Amino acid sequence: MKWTRGLLLLVIVATMAYPLAWMLSVSMRTPEGTSLRYYAEVWQAGPFDRYFINSLLVTGIVLAGNIVFCAMAGYAFARFKIRGARFLFMLVLSTIMLPKQVILVPLYIQMQRMGLIDSYAALTLPFLVDPFNIFLIRQYLLSIPTDCEEAARMDGAGEATILFRVVFPMLKPVLAVVAIHTCLTNWNSFLFPFILTNSTDMRTLPVGLALLSQGAHSIDWGHLMAGAVISALPVVAAFLVFQRRIIGGLTAGISR
Amino acid sequence: MRLRALPAPVWLLTPWAVVYGAFFVFPFVFSFVLGFLDYNPLNVANTRFVGLDHAARLFTDPAFHGALRNTLLFVLGTVPLTTALALVLAWCLRGPMPLKGVLKAAMFLPSILSIVVIALLFKLVYAPGGALNEALATVGIPGHGWLTDPRTALPAIMAMDVWAAVGYYALVLHAAFTSIPESLYEAADLEGAGAWATFRHVTFPMLKPAIGFVLVINAIRSFQVFVEVLVMTQGGPLGSTNTMVMYLYETAFSRLDYGYASVIAYAVFILSGIFSIFALRRFRSETGSRGVVA
Repeated sequence: MKWTRGLLLLVIVATMAYPLAWMLSVSMRTPEGTSLRYYAEVWQAGPFDRYFINSLLVTGIVLAGNIVFCAMAGYAFARFKIRGARFLFMLVLSTIMLPKQVILVPLYIQMQRMGLIDSYAALTLPFLVDPFNIFLIRQYLLSIPTDCEEAARMDGAGEATILFRVVFPMLKPVLAVVAIHTCLTNWNSFLFPFILTNSTDMRTLPVGLALLSQGAHSIDWGHLMAGAVISALPVVAAFLVFQRRIIGGLTAGISR
Repeated sequence: MRLRALPAPVWLLTPWAVVYGAFFVFPFVFSFVLGFLDYNPLNVANTRFVGLDHAARLFTDPAFHGALRNTLLFVLGTVPLTTALALVLAWCLRGPMPLKGVLKAAMFLPSILSIVVIALLFKLVYAPGGALNEALATVGIPGHGWLTDPRTALPAIMAMDVWAAVGYYALVLHAAFTSIPESLYEAADLEGAGAWATFRHVTFPMLKPAIGFVLVINAIRSFQVFVEVLVMTQGGPLGSTNTMVMYLYETAFSRLDYGYASVIAYAVFILSGIFSIFALRRFRSETGSRGVVA
């Protein structure tokens, strides 16, 4: 039993690793032997340096927005008795599950009318407040006592002070999950950045990568896989460092 | 106006309300309206009200039927298989074992990669001189144009989806496995229950909510399959991998038929909405007290 289990898991790991190893080997196999030439070329001429900066900028802005705004909304939903709060919160929940494609066309028209196509505003504004993050923060707040907040309120602190000085530090564990979820989603996001931009200068990594694959008649796998590795590298590096936290944050909480 | 003058919940909820209203509720309603219009972005002045014409077209449009059929095939072909495999993997992972961390990391790795990266990777794997054909060649099986043959293109994309998704769901189920109290197994053992009886009467009932959840979120996600199709086959060959969202994308951005595209969008919405209701029920039942984060 133990051996079959071990063998089965070994097969799984091999199945997982084989395509990834293939990707790496193709990206480094140049006519003149193993080298990082494709990486250098794709970085400069791709231009993956620009895509990389765009991805970094967009992910950073969206992350900051989610940390602050979702903490505010989550706090409001968890701690205040608001008329219609149940209805509002159901709205938040229903947005988590909706297929985002429903708003693809109208959002495109809207952004066009607002003159925002091909701008950082188009790449960030719609994603500043992810309802899933509000849900996570509200649930977390409901599980911790209100003592500190009450004490601060007694001392005459305003709600802004209570939220950002008292509650915020206590939210650290859940904000870590929010950060992981937000960074992964936005770093890897393709559909909306693809639709909402049209110049090379505004493309993010996944979009630039997809377009590189559609460009030529015969596919240039070496450069393409180098580009794929470049866009995956930051996430994989972060994963290797924060592995336990990332797996825990993205699996444990959701299923129960 | 000073913040203090406003009731706290109002300003706390304002950023969410603005973003949500402007970039979700508004386009959502706009999409519904668009479905009744003949709207061409190059000739906005000529926008006409066409009533239910677009909706009626859904029922007679063979391309949409093909896309619907492919999407259902995709959902029904991948979701149960992924869940079953994930269950087996989660079962294998239980208890202490050497290198468990490495195993879990390997299984989780695909879910942190962009779907674009995965799709390109598998386009290479399925290419004529790619990893799959090379591997088959070593055991003497002739190669095949996996993505160029209409019979194998969709199954090839489905196999990729299982590869990419199974590890994540296995770890979700694994987390559920570890929350089953050991005492239940001890009790089953005392009663003299065998392995199968233990699984049927202890493990499975305890895992049921988690399995249900995995089925639902995977189904919702699978209904929206698009990026992998766009990158790998663009709906071809011969429409064999055309899915609903692929068709929606093409209708909107190649044919500029925004009105009809909006109706297709609503069809996707309603179909996966049926699944969302189940998922929402689960969410609602736990929004009462329990913290989500471990």
